[in-house]
Amino acid sequence: MADEASLIARIAAGDAVALRVLFARHHVRIYRFTRRLVRDGALAEELTNEVFLEIWRHAKGFQGTSSALTWMLSIAHHRAVSSLRKRREEPWDDGAAYALADAADDPEVAAQKRDAGAILRRCLDALSPDHKGVVDLVYYHEMSVSEAAAILRIPENTVKTRLFHARKRLSELLRKAGIDRGWP
Amino acid sequence: MIEDSEREEIEKLLPWYVTGRLGLADARKVERYLRQHPDALPQLQWIDAERQETTRANEAMGWPPPDMSERLLAALPQTVAPASGRGRLSSFRRFFRMPPWLGVEWAAVALALVVLVQAAFLVTLLTHEPTYRLATGSKEDGVPALIVFADDAKTADVTRFLTSFAASIVDGPKPGGVYKIKLRSLDKSQPAADALLKSLAERRDVVRIVLPSRD
Repeated sequence: MADEASLIARIAAGDAVALRVLFARHHVRIYRFTRRLVRDGALAEELTNEVFLEIWRHAKGFQGTSSALTWMLSIAHHRAVSSLRKRREEPWDDGAAYALADAADDPEVAAQKRDAGAILRRCLDALSPDHKGVVDLVYYHEMSVSEAAAILRIPENTVKTRLFHARKRLSELLRKAGIDRGWP
Repeated sequence: MIEDSEREEIEKLLPWYVTGRLGLADARKVERYLRQHPDALPQLQWIDAERQETTRANEAMGWPPPDMSERLLAALPQTVAPASGRGRLSSFRRFFRMPPWLGVEWAAVALALVVLVQAAFLVTLLTHEPTYRLATGSKEDGVPALIVFADDAKTADVTRFLTSFAASIVDGPKPGGVYKIKLRSLDKSQPAADALLKSLAERRDVVRIVLPSRD
């Protein structure tokens, strides 16, 4: 987006208003992306502000070969993954995601568990950060293969394979939750 | 075997086919395959369901707190401004690369300027009232604007909108639903104010009219 390239150029020249405009446009996306990965609202806020501070410091290095949003999501992903490594995240527990209705559930909870959409959502939430990251980038942020590759800093074929495996994992989780898509 | 690998190749492309982010050549390849293998069509429905639930899950993350932009702006002065910092550094380096006699001359000029600025500052301080004001005050508070919110804008949207632009309502509503707002801004130059108002006006979901105001 040419308009965004000029915003970045203004930020590179020390224009704080341009930074604020960029923030107003994109901070919700960046916040949601990081929060989904780190599963911690306060940390996601901190990471989001760090992304914009990094833009402020390094705007001169923006090549313009990708969009500003791609650049920001790339910084956000890198920072979220680093913070997960620092926290030595406990092993991903996807058991809770596909728990079926049991006798102790009240009728509302039982109905929610039966709802296919809610089950799918719980299974999506239970994916590993690597899988969840690529799923969010493609489905929610609507990134192309090359944009997702730039954000995740991996080759394009790896992006395709990662999403393919994420979807296979999702099918496994759904099967355990009683929904068989007959694939893979 | 070849058919399996072809199917896997197509299945890897399907999410982008559904989101409309696939290149033309790949999209045609997918369409050709789906025409020949209708048993792969249910995949499109699953992917669409995955997309819908991913969107719901992201939207369930809600909105970041409204004071985030304030915290970002507060952090800025402690951060080296990209252009000005580099400019100062390179000027500094250039100064030390000058011939010694020229360096001394520049140093004398710089010293004289510092003395002049200090003198002017002292005179201003002794002969004028302070120019700062509290929140209700002067032009230094920010960029003023007249604004009419969209008819269907909800209170929460307006609050988020004002917060994200570090703006506050200072007057209104006036006839026609016009409010006067002020946007806190570090850069108060005309081009910066114009850019800020332009970005306000782009938010058609919240505002209907944005006009510059003299004060």
